[in-house]
Amino acid sequence: MTHTLHRQGDTRSLQEDYVVLIMPAQGVNVPGSDEKLKKLWEIFSRYNVVNFGNGNYNKFTLSLEDLKKKRSMIGHAVFKDKETLAQFIKELQQAELGLSTVLSGLYDEVQGCCGRLGIKLHTVEHSLGIHGNTKKLPPENVLEIHTMCGHALIPPHLIEAMAGEVKKGKKTAEAAAAELGRHCTCGIFNPYRAAKLLEKMASV
Amino acid sequence: MQIDPEKCIGCEVCHPYCTVGAIHSVKKEGGEDLISVVDQDECVECGVCHRANICPTEAIYPVELKWPRSVRGVFSDPLTVHKDTGIAGRGTEEMKTNDVTGRIRRGHAGVAIELGRPGVGTRFRDVDIMAQAVAKAGAVFEPKNPVTFLMADKSTGKIREDILNEKALSAIIECGVEIDKLENLLSVIKATAPKLDTVFSLDLICKVGEKGEMETLPIAQKAGFTPRPNTKNNIGFGRPLAKEE
Repeated sequence: MTHTLHRQGDTRSLQEDYVVLIMPAQGVNVPGSDEKLKKLWEIFSRYNVVNFGNGNYNKFTLSLEDLKKKRSMIGHAVFKDKETLAQFIKELQQAELGLSTVLSGLYDEVQGCCGRLGIKLHTVEHSLGIHGNTKKLPPENVLEIHTMCGHALIPPHLIEAMAGEVKKGKKTAEAAAAELGRHCTCGIFNPYRAAKLLEKMASV
Repeated sequence: MQIDPEKCIGCEVCHPYCTVGAIHSVKKEGGEDLISVVDQDECVECGVCHRANICPTEAIYPVELKWPRSVRGVFSDPLTVHKDTGIAGRGTEEMKTNDVTGRIRRGHAGVAIELGRPGVGTRFRDVDIMAQAVAKAGAVFEPKNPVTFLMADKSTGKIREDILNEKALSAIIECGVEIDKLENLLSVIKATAPKLDTVFSLDLICKVGEKGEMETLPIAQKAGFTPRPNTKNNIGFGRPLAKEE
Protein backbone atom coordinates (compact mmCIF):
# COMPACT_ATOMS: atom_id res chain seq x y z
CA MET A 1 0.00 0.00 0.00
CA THR A 2 0.91 3.66 -0.21
CA HIS A 3 3.51 2.86 -2.83
CA THR A 4 2.41 5.47 -5.37
CA LEU A 5 2.14 8.16 -2.69
CA HIS A 6 5.02 10.12 -1.11
CA ARG A 7 6.79 11.00 -4.36
CA GLN A 8 9.09 13.88 -3.49
CA GLY A 9 9.93 16.90 -5.61
CA ASP A 10 8.68 20.34 -6.49
CA THR A 11 5.34 21.01 -8.15
CA ARG A 12 6.88 21.67 -11.56
CA SER A 13 8.60 18.29 -11.57
CA LEU A 14 5.53 16.48 -10.24
CA GLN A 15 3.48 17.95 -13.09
CA GLU A 16 5.22 15.33 -15.23
CA ASP A 17 4.39 12.37 -13.02
CA TYR A 18 1.03 10.57 -12.85
CA VAL A 19 0.63 6.94 -11.84
CA VAL A 20 -2.42 4.86 -12.70
CA LEU A 21 -3.19 1.70 -10.70
CA ILE A 22 -6.05 -0.63 -11.62
CA MET A 23 -7.06 -3.76 -9.74
CA PRO A 24 -9.97 -5.93 -8.61
CA ALA A 25 -10.86 -6.33 -4.93
CA GLN A 26 -10.25 -9.70 -3.28
CA GLY A 27 -13.51 -11.39 -2.48
CA VAL A 28 -15.56 -8.97 -4.56
CA ASN A 29 -14.77 -8.79 -8.28
CA VAL A 30 -11.70 -10.93 -8.93
CA PRO A 31 -13.45 -13.50 -11.18
CA GLY A 32 -13.02 -12.36 -14.79
CA SER A 33 -10.60 -9.60 -13.86
CA ASP A 34 -7.74 -11.24 -15.75
CA GLU A 35 -9.54 -10.70 -19.06
CA LYS A 36 -10.37 -7.15 -18.06
CA LEU A 37 -6.73 -6.48 -17.31
CA LYS A 38 -5.83 -7.82 -20.76
CA LYS A 39 -8.18 -5.16 -22.17
CA LEU A 40 -6.41 -2.64 -19.99
CA TRP A 41 -3.02 -3.47 -21.54
CA GLU A 42 -4.65 -2.91 -24.94
CA ILE A 43 -5.83 0.50 -23.84
CA PHE A 44 -2.44 1.40 -22.35
CA SER A 45 -0.77 0.44 -25.63
CA ARG A 46 -2.63 3.25 -27.40
CA TYR A 47 -1.04 5.90 -25.19
CA ASN A 48 2.43 7.22 -24.65
CA VAL A 49 2.98 5.71 -21.21
CA VAL A 50 6.53 6.09 -19.90
CA ASN A 51 6.35 2.90 -17.83
CA PHE A 52 3.95 0.06 -17.09
CA GLY A 53 3.89 -3.10 -15.04
CA ASN A 54 1.91 -5.77 -13.24
CA GLY A 55 3.91 -6.08 -10.02
CA ASN A 56 6.26 -8.69 -11.43
CA TYR A 57 7.33 -7.14 -14.73
CA ASN A 58 7.86 -3.59 -15.93
CA LYS A 59 8.76 -1.80 -19.15
CA PHE A 60 12.45 -2.66 -18.69
CA THR A 61 11.94 -6.37 -18.13
CA LEU A 62 9.06 -7.25 -20.49
CA SER A 63 7.41 -5.74 -23.55
CA LEU A 64 3.77 -4.68 -23.37
CA GLU A 65 2.98 -7.33 -25.99
CA ASP A 66 4.46 -10.05 -23.80
CA LEU A 67 2.85 -8.62 -20.68
CA LYS A 68 -0.56 -9.08 -22.33
CA LYS A 69 0.09 -12.83 -22.35
CA LYS A 70 0.79 -12.95 -18.60
CA ARG A 71 -1.85 -13.41 -15.93
CA SER A 72 -2.09 -10.15 -14.01
CA MET A 73 -3.87 -9.14 -10.85
CA ILE A 74 -2.93 -5.47 -11.08
CA GLY A 75 -2.04 -3.00 -13.79
CA HIS A 76 0.13 0.09 -13.46
CA ALA A 77 1.18 2.76 -15.91
CA VAL A 78 2.94 6.09 -15.65
CA PHE A 79 2.00 9.17 -17.66
CA LYS A 80 4.18 12.24 -18.04
CA ASP A 81 1.45 14.76 -18.85
CA LYS A 82 -2.07 15.45 -17.70
CA GLU A 83 -3.45 15.81 -21.23
CA THR A 84 -2.61 12.21 -22.15
CA LEU A 85 -3.80 11.08 -18.73
CA ALA A 86 -7.16 12.77 -19.35
CA GLN A 87 -7.55 11.06 -22.73
CA PHE A 88 -6.74 7.72 -21.16
CA ILE A 89 -9.21 8.21 -18.30
CA LYS A 90 -11.93 9.10 -20.78
CA GLU A 91 -11.34 5.89 -22.72
CA LEU A 92 -11.14 3.85 -19.51
CA GLN A 93 -14.44 5.34 -18.35
CA GLN A 94 -16.07 4.30 -21.62
CA ALA A 95 -14.55 0.81 -21.40
CA GLU A 96 -16.42 0.19 -18.11
CA LEU A 97 -14.01 -2.48 -16.89
CA GLY A 98 -15.49 -2.25 -13.39
CA LEU A 99 -12.09 -2.40 -11.71
CA SER A 100 -10.95 -0.04 -8.97
CA THR A 101 -8.84 2.75 -10.40
CA VAL A 102 -6.41 4.94 -8.51
CA LEU A 103 -4.73 8.04 -9.94
CA SER A 104 -1.71 9.33 -8.06
CA GLY A 105 -0.32 12.77 -8.73
CA LEU A 106 -0.82 16.42 -7.92
CA TYR A 107 -4.27 16.68 -6.38
CA ASP A 108 -5.27 19.84 -8.23
CA GLU A 109 -4.31 18.33 -11.59
CA VAL A 110 -5.97 14.96 -10.99
CA GLN A 111 -9.11 16.52 -9.52
CA GLY A 112 -9.28 18.96 -12.43
CA CYS A 113 -8.84 16.19 -14.98
CA CYS A 114 -11.58 14.08 -13.37
CA GLY A 115 -13.87 17.04 -12.83
CA ARG A 116 -13.82 17.91 -16.53
CA LEU A 117 -14.93 14.35 -17.27
CA GLY A 118 -17.69 14.47 -14.68
CA ILE A 119 -15.89 12.02 -12.40
CA LYS A 120 -16.12 12.51 -8.64
CA LEU A 121 -13.22 11.35 -6.49
CA HIS A 122 -14.35 8.52 -4.23
CA THR A 123 -11.53 8.23 -1.69
CA VAL A 124 -8.40 10.33 -1.25
CA GLU A 125 -5.15 9.43 0.49
CA HIS A 126 -2.98 12.34 1.58
CA SER A 127 0.70 12.24 2.39
CA LEU A 128 1.37 14.03 5.67
CA GLY A 129 5.10 13.98 5.02
CA ILE A 130 8.19 12.25 6.38
CA HIS A 131 8.89 12.28 10.12
CA GLY A 132 11.09 10.65 12.75
CA ASN A 133 14.87 10.55 12.59
CA THR A 134 15.10 12.51 9.34
CA LYS A 135 18.86 12.99 9.78
CA LYS A 136 19.17 9.47 8.37
CA LEU A 137 17.47 10.36 5.09
CA PRO A 138 19.39 10.33 1.82
CA PRO A 139 19.91 13.77 0.20
CA GLU A 140 16.81 15.46 -1.20
CA ASN A 141 17.83 15.10 -4.86
CA VAL A 142 18.34 11.37 -4.32
CA LEU A 143 14.96 11.08 -2.60
CA GLU A 144 13.20 12.65 -5.58
CA ILE A 145 14.24 9.64 -7.67
CA HIS A 146 14.20 7.02 -4.90
CA THR A 147 10.56 7.72 -3.95
CA MET A 148 9.38 6.90 -7.47
CA CYS A 149 9.60 3.25 -6.42
CA GLY A 150 7.24 2.87 -3.48
CA HIS A 151 8.86 -0.38 -2.38
CA ALA A 152 12.18 1.48 -2.00
CA LEU A 153 13.95 -0.84 -4.43
CA ILE A 154 15.96 1.88 -6.18
CA PRO A 155 19.15 1.94 -4.09
CA PRO A 156 20.13 5.50 -3.05
CA HIS A 157 23.81 4.75 -3.73
CA LEU A 158 22.94 3.54 -7.22
CA ILE A 159 21.17 6.83 -7.93
CA GLU A 160 24.32 8.71 -6.94
CA ALA A 161 26.45 6.32 -9.00
CA MET A 162 24.22 6.81 -12.07
CA ALA A 163 24.35 10.59 -11.68
CA GLY A 164 28.14 10.22 -11.60
CA GLU A 165 28.08 8.15 -14.80
CA VAL A 166 26.00 10.84 -16.50
CA LYS A 167 28.38 13.55 -15.28
CA LYS A 168 31.38 11.66 -16.65
CA GLY A 169 29.62 11.14 -19.99
CA LYS A 170 29.72 7.36 -19.56
CA LYS A 171 25.94 7.06 -19.75
CA THR A 172 23.13 9.14 -21.14
CA ALA A 173 20.58 10.30 -18.60
CA GLU A 174 18.01 8.06 -20.29
CA ALA A 175 20.26 4.98 -20.01
CA ALA A 176 20.99 5.78 -16.37
CA ALA A 177 17.25 6.18 -15.65
CA ALA A 178 16.60 2.81 -17.32
CA GLU A 179 19.25 1.16 -15.15
CA LEU A 180 17.44 2.50 -12.09
CA GLY A 181 13.94 1.79 -13.37
CA ARG A 182 14.42 -1.92 -13.95
CA HIS A 183 14.56 -2.56 -10.19
CA CYS A 184 11.06 -1.16 -9.60
CA THR A 185 9.14 -4.37 -10.17
CA CYS A 186 5.72 -2.69 -10.13
CA GLY A 187 6.51 -0.44 -13.09
CA ILE A 188 5.53 2.79 -11.33
CA PHE A 189 8.98 4.41 -11.71
CA ASN A 190 8.95 7.41 -14.06
CA PRO A 191 12.11 7.17 -16.21
CA TYR A 192 11.25 10.34 -18.12
CA ARG A 193 11.24 12.42 -14.96
CA ALA A 194 14.20 10.49 -13.53
CA ALA A 195 16.34 11.31 -16.58
CA LYS A 196 15.66 15.01 -16.06
CA LEU A 197 16.50 14.76 -12.36
CA LEU A 198 19.72 12.83 -13.11
CA GLU A 199 20.78 15.53 -15.58
CA LYS A 200 20.16 18.10 -12.90
CA MET A 201 22.25 16.11 -10.39
CA ALA A 202 25.03 15.69 -12.96
CA SER A 203 25.16 19.39 -13.72
CA VAL A 204 26.11 20.28 -10.14
CA MET B 1 21.83 -12.63 0.70
CA GLN B 2 25.35 -13.96 0.57
CA ILE B 3 28.45 -13.51 -1.57
CA ASP B 4 30.59 -16.57 -2.29
CA PRO B 5 34.13 -15.63 -1.13
CA GLU B 6 35.64 -18.15 -3.54
CA LYS B 7 33.91 -16.55 -6.53
CA CYS B 8 34.13 -12.86 -5.55
CA ILE B 9 36.92 -10.95 -7.30
CA GLY B 10 36.50 -7.79 -5.24
CA CYS B 11 35.42 -5.58 -8.15
CA GLU B 12 32.83 -3.79 -5.93
CA VAL B 13 30.36 -3.47 -8.81
CA CYS B 14 27.61 -4.75 -6.49
CA HIS B 15 28.13 -2.16 -3.74
CA PRO B 16 25.80 0.57 -5.05
CA TYR B 17 23.11 -2.02 -5.78
CA CYS B 18 22.42 -2.57 -2.09
CA THR B 19 19.29 -0.69 -0.98
CA VAL B 20 20.64 -0.22 2.55
CA GLY B 21 24.40 0.02 1.92
CA ALA B 22 25.09 -3.35 3.55
CA ILE B 23 27.75 -4.57 1.08
CA HIS B 24 31.35 -3.63 1.81
CA SER B 25 34.88 -4.88 1.21
CA VAL B 26 37.04 -6.91 3.58
CA LYS B 27 40.40 -8.62 3.26
CA LYS B 28 40.07 -12.17 2.06
CA GLU B 29 40.96 -14.67 4.77
CA GLY B 30 44.68 -15.40 4.78
CA GLY B 31 45.55 -12.75 2.17
CA GLU B 32 45.63 -9.12 1.14
CA ASP B 33 43.03 -9.29 -1.67
CA LEU B 34 39.75 -7.56 -1.04
CA ILE B 35 36.42 -9.29 -1.46
CA SER B 36 32.87 -8.05 -0.93
CA VAL B 37 30.68 -9.25 1.91
CA VAL B 38 27.08 -8.63 2.94
CA ASP B 39 26.61 -7.37 6.49
CA GLN B 40 23.99 -9.89 7.59
CA ASP B 41 22.70 -7.69 10.40
CA GLU B 42 22.01 -4.80 8.02
CA CYS B 43 20.86 -6.78 4.96
CA VAL B 44 17.08 -6.59 4.53
CA GLU B 45 16.85 -9.44 2.00
CA CYS B 46 15.25 -7.25 -0.68
CA GLY B 47 16.91 -9.29 -3.45
CA VAL B 48 17.87 -6.28 -5.56
CA CYS B 49 21.62 -7.09 -5.72
CA HIS B 50 20.87 -10.63 -6.90
CA ARG B 51 18.13 -9.74 -9.39
CA ALA B 52 20.31 -6.97 -10.82
CA ASN B 53 22.50 -9.70 -12.31
CA ILE B 54 25.57 -7.46 -12.27
CA CYS B 55 28.13 -9.75 -10.62
CA PRO B 56 30.69 -10.78 -13.28
CA THR B 57 31.35 -14.08 -11.49
CA GLU B 58 27.80 -14.77 -10.25
CA ALA B 59 29.06 -14.75 -6.68
CA ILE B 60 25.85 -13.28 -5.19
CA TYR B 61 23.34 -15.89 -4.12
CA PRO B 62 20.17 -16.02 -2.02
CA VAL B 63 19.82 -18.42 0.90
CA GLU B 64 16.67 -19.94 2.31
CA LEU B 65 15.35 -17.60 4.98
CA LYS B 66 14.12 -19.17 8.18
CA TRP B 67 12.04 -17.61 10.90
CA PRO B 68 12.50 -14.94 12.17
CA ARG B 69 14.84 -13.74 9.40
CA SER B 70 12.16 -14.58 6.84
CA VAL B 71 10.21 -11.47 7.86
CA ARG B 72 13.00 -9.41 6.28
CA GLY B 73 12.24 -10.89 2.88
CA VAL B 74 8.49 -10.48 3.04
CA PHE B 75 8.71 -6.86 4.15
CA SER B 76 11.50 -5.92 1.74
CA ASP B 77 11.10 -7.98 -1.42
CA PRO B 78 7.68 -7.47 -3.06
CA LEU B 79 8.21 -10.68 -5.03
CA THR B 80 8.38 -12.76 -1.85
CA VAL B 81 5.40 -14.69 -0.54
CA HIS B 82 5.68 -15.29 3.18
CA LYS B 83 5.62 -19.03 3.95
CA ASP B 84 4.89 -18.48 7.64
CA THR B 85 2.18 -15.84 7.34
CA GLY B 86 0.80 -16.70 3.92
CA ILE B 87 0.69 -12.98 3.18
CA ALA B 88 2.63 -11.36 0.32
CA GLY B 89 3.85 -7.78 0.28
CA ARG B 90 3.85 -5.05 2.88
CA GLY B 91 0.30 -3.81 2.91
CA THR B 92 -3.27 -4.39 1.86
CA GLU B 93 -5.71 -3.10 -0.72
CA GLU B 94 -6.64 -0.29 1.70
CA MET B 95 -8.07 2.70 -0.25
CA LYS B 96 -7.16 1.25 -3.62
CA THR B 97 -10.38 -0.76 -3.74
CA ASN B 98 -12.39 1.31 -1.27
CA ASP B 99 -15.02 2.04 -3.91
CA VAL B 100 -16.10 -1.62 -3.84
CA THR B 101 -15.06 -2.72 -0.34
CA GLY B 102 -16.22 0.32 1.62
CA ARG B 103 -13.51 -0.31 4.22
CA ILE B 104 -13.04 3.37 4.92
CA ARG B 105 -16.35 5.21 5.33
CA ARG B 106 -17.47 8.72 6.14
CA GLY B 107 -16.95 9.42 9.81
CA HIS B 108 -13.82 7.28 9.84
CA ALA B 109 -10.23 7.86 8.81
CA GLY B 110 -7.63 5.41 7.57
CA VAL B 111 -4.10 6.00 8.81
CA ALA B 112 -0.92 4.34 7.57
CA ILE B 113 2.46 4.79 9.20
CA GLU B 114 5.17 3.36 6.96
CA LEU B 115 8.31 3.01 9.04
CA GLY B 116 11.68 2.93 7.30
CA ARG B 117 10.49 4.67 4.19
CA PRO B 118 12.03 6.38 2.37
CA GLY B 119 15.58 5.12 2.01
CA VAL B 120 16.38 4.22 5.63
CA GLY B 121 14.85 0.87 6.59
CA THR B 122 13.47 -0.06 9.97
CA ARG B 123 13.96 -2.50 12.82
CA PHE B 124 10.76 -4.00 14.15
CA ARG B 125 11.52 -2.54 17.58
CA ASP B 126 10.67 0.86 16.08
CA VAL B 127 7.48 -0.60 14.62
CA ASP B 128 6.69 -1.87 18.11
CA ILE B 129 7.16 1.57 19.68
CA MET B 130 4.82 3.26 17.21
CA ALA B 131 2.22 0.47 17.18
CA GLN B 132 1.90 0.49 20.96
CA ALA B 133 1.59 4.27 20.99
CA VAL B 134 -1.23 4.41 18.42
CA ALA B 135 -3.08 1.51 20.07
CA LYS B 136 -3.29 3.57 23.27
CA ALA B 137 -4.82 6.39 21.18
CA GLY B 138 -7.71 4.17 20.10
CA ALA B 139 -6.43 3.04 16.70
CA VAL B 140 -7.87 -0.23 15.43
CA PHE B 141 -5.36 -2.25 13.44
CA GLU B 142 -6.25 -3.55 10.00
CA PRO B 143 -6.51 -7.34 10.48
CA LYS B 144 -5.23 -8.23 7.00
CA ASN B 145 -2.09 -6.10 7.28
CA PRO B 146 1.17 -8.10 7.66
CA VAL B 147 2.35 -5.99 10.61
CA THR B 148 -0.90 -6.71 12.47
CA PHE B 149 -0.24 -10.40 11.87
CA LEU B 150 3.09 -10.02 13.71
CA MET B 151 1.52 -8.53 16.81
CA ALA B 152 1.59 -10.63 19.97
CA ASP B 153 -1.37 -8.59 21.19
CA LYS B 154 -3.53 -6.78 18.66
CA SER B 155 -5.23 -4.67 21.34
CA THR B 156 -1.93 -3.18 22.59
CA GLY B 157 0.02 -3.25 19.34
CA LYS B 158 2.83 -5.24 20.96
CA ILE B 159 5.02 -6.86 18.31
CA ARG B 160 6.25 -10.38 19.06
CA GLU B 161 9.62 -10.39 20.83
CA ASP B 162 11.48 -12.72 18.48
CA ILE B 163 11.38 -10.33 15.54
CA LEU B 164 12.14 -7.01 17.23
CA ASN B 165 15.73 -6.89 15.96
CA GLU B 166 14.81 -7.90 12.41
CA LYS B 167 15.26 -5.21 9.80
CA ALA B 168 13.17 -4.47 6.71
CA LEU B 169 13.06 -1.84 3.97
CA SER B 170 9.76 -0.71 5.42
CA ALA B 171 6.79 -1.91 7.45
CA ILE B 172 3.36 -0.34 7.42
CA ILE B 173 1.20 0.05 10.49
CA GLU B 174 -2.29 0.32 9.05
CA CYS B 175 -5.16 1.36 11.24
CA GLY B 176 -8.50 3.04 11.35
CA VAL B 177 -10.01 5.48 13.78
CA GLU B 178 -13.29 7.30 14.27
CA ILE B 179 -13.06 10.86 13.06
CA ASP B 180 -13.46 12.34 16.55
CA LYS B 181 -10.35 10.47 17.69
CA LEU B 182 -8.20 11.44 14.71
CA GLU B 183 -6.68 14.64 16.07
CA ASN B 184 -5.49 12.88 19.22
CA LEU B 185 -4.12 9.98 17.18
CA LEU B 186 -2.14 12.33 14.94
CA SER B 187 -0.81 14.16 18.00
CA VAL B 188 0.32 10.84 19.48
CA ILE B 189 2.10 9.95 16.23
CA LYS B 190 3.84 13.31 16.27
CA ALA B 191 4.90 12.88 19.89
CA THR B 192 6.23 9.36 19.22
CA ALA B 193 8.36 10.39 16.22
CA PRO B 194 11.39 11.58 18.27
CA LYS B 195 11.55 8.19 20.04
CA LEU B 196 12.33 6.36 16.80
CA ASP B 197 15.68 5.50 15.28
CA THR B 198 14.16 5.58 11.80
CA VAL B 199 11.89 7.69 9.63
CA PHE B 200 8.30 7.14 8.63
CA SER B 201 5.97 8.33 5.91
CA LEU B 202 2.50 9.18 7.14
CA ASP B 203 -0.74 8.72 5.18
CA LEU B 204 -4.28 9.81 5.87
CA ILE B 205 -7.22 8.31 3.99
CA CYS B 206 -10.75 9.62 3.77
CA LYS B 207 -13.91 8.89 1.85
CA VAL B 208 -14.80 12.04 -0.07
CA GLY B 209 -18.15 13.66 0.70
CA GLU B 210 -20.92 14.38 -1.82
CA LYS B 211 -19.72 17.94 -2.31
CA GLY B 212 -16.06 16.97 -2.50
CA GLU B 213 -15.36 17.68 1.17
CA MET B 214 -12.61 15.78 2.96
CA GLU B 215 -13.32 15.79 6.68
CA THR B 216 -9.84 14.61 7.64
CA LEU B 217 -7.92 17.53 6.16
CA PRO B 218 -8.75 20.30 8.66
CA ILE B 219 -8.07 17.85 11.48
CA ALA B 220 -4.62 17.03 10.10
CA GLN B 221 -3.84 20.71 9.79
CA LYS B 222 -5.06 21.36 13.33
CA ALA B 223 -2.73 18.60 14.54
CA GLY B 224 0.17 20.42 12.90
CA PHE B 225 0.58 18.46 9.67
CA THR B 226 0.84 19.99 6.22
CA PRO B 227 -0.47 17.65 3.53
CA ARG B 228 1.72 17.37 0.45
CA PRO B 229 0.26 18.52 -2.89
CA ASN B 230 0.34 15.05 -4.47
CA THR B 231 -2.29 12.53 -3.45
CA LYS B 232 -3.59 9.07 -4.24
CA ASN B 233 -7.14 9.21 -5.59
CA ASN B 234 -9.62 6.38 -6.02
CA ILE B 235 -11.92 7.60 -8.80
CA GLY B 236 -14.80 5.19 -8.19
CA PHE B 237 -14.63 3.02 -11.31
CA GLY B 238 -14.93 -0.29 -9.42
CA ARG B 239 -18.15 -2.31 -9.59
CA PRO B 240 -20.27 -3.16 -7.73
CA LEU B 241 -19.95 0.00 -5.69
CA ALA B 242 -19.97 -0.44 -1.91
CA LYS B 243 -23.22 0.64 -0.34
CA GLU B 244 -23.11 3.55 2.07
CA GLU B 245 -24.15 2.69 5.61
